[in-house]
Amino acid sequence: MINWIANICFVGSLFAFSLGTLGLFRFPDPYTRMHAIAIGDTLGMGLIGFGLFLLSSSFILRIKLVIILSLFYLINPTMTHLIAKAGLIHGTMPVEGTRLRKG
Amino acid sequence: MTKRSLVLFALLLIFWIFVSGGLNFQHIAVGGLVTIAVVWFWHDLGPKLPGILHPGELLLLARCLGLLVLSIIQSNMAVAKTLLFSKPPVRPVFVMMQPPLKTNWGRILLATFITLTPGTVTVDLDPKTGEFVVHALTEETAISLFYWKMINRIGDLETYRQRRTGHVVDTSRVDDSNSSGAFSSNYRADGH
Repeated sequence: MINWIANICFVGSLFAFSLGTLGLFRFPDPYTRMHAIAIGDTLGMGLIGFGLFLLSSSFILRIKLVIILSLFYLINPTMTHLIAKAGLIHGTMPVEGTRLRKG
Repeated sequence: MTKRSLVLFALLLIFWIFVSGGLNFQHIAVGGLVTIAVVWFWHDLGPKLPGILHPGELLLLARCLGLLVLSIIQSNMAVAKTLLFSKPPVRPVFVMMQPPLKTNWGRILLATFITLTPGTVTVDLDPKTGEFVVHALTEETAISLFYWKMINRIGDLETYRQRRTGHVVDTSRVDDSNSSGAFSSNYRADGH
């Protein structure tokens, strides 16, 4: 049963990463492509982590997985933000039709 | 040697023991030496770290994380829908918003959570005014950002901590000329 759930998680993460890769081709500029990649980075990574958590043989291994995942979820948004900001500072133009909305 | 350095030392050593997976003398000696070096190297960082979290604060933070997991799943669906079924020209939005958060750690928490949910990326955050610049994939994600419950939950966490410590402790304030106004100087100047 646990094997089955883990396998479903792996297939789901495969699907998420494929969607992200498809987005690289379909979306027009670096900023929108980042959103597509985020699918794989959040859902895909989370599902792989959950699947491995279920399959791992020892308690220590599970704690290590949780540490790796939490570090990943800390580093991922930081780097995404840095890439977006670097793009903006260096004048990478967003796609035509991008609007500005003030709230 | 402050209390913070000791706590940092203990946490790093526990982390090392978990990661190295061995409990003999050699592992602990090497880990201890490396940990002392790391704590010494980052001794400037000590005062900037937030203090120990109270159980009540942990509970409020757990509420935030629960909502975050839910939001990540929801926005994954939304981005996947846009990716697969929308007509080719996507129309992204740059949102400028000023959520009612008072401390810099609260703002950073919100900025991290915004970037973690697919469909929105925090591009700029002005530490002086607390103004966020967020790139949103579609108009709907941009609008739903304004009504995101997370803002209130982080606000709750801030008020709780403020009431407990008596005043707003904000040691994370950095005067970084790079971190403010990158958006306004570059983007708006080009007439978009």
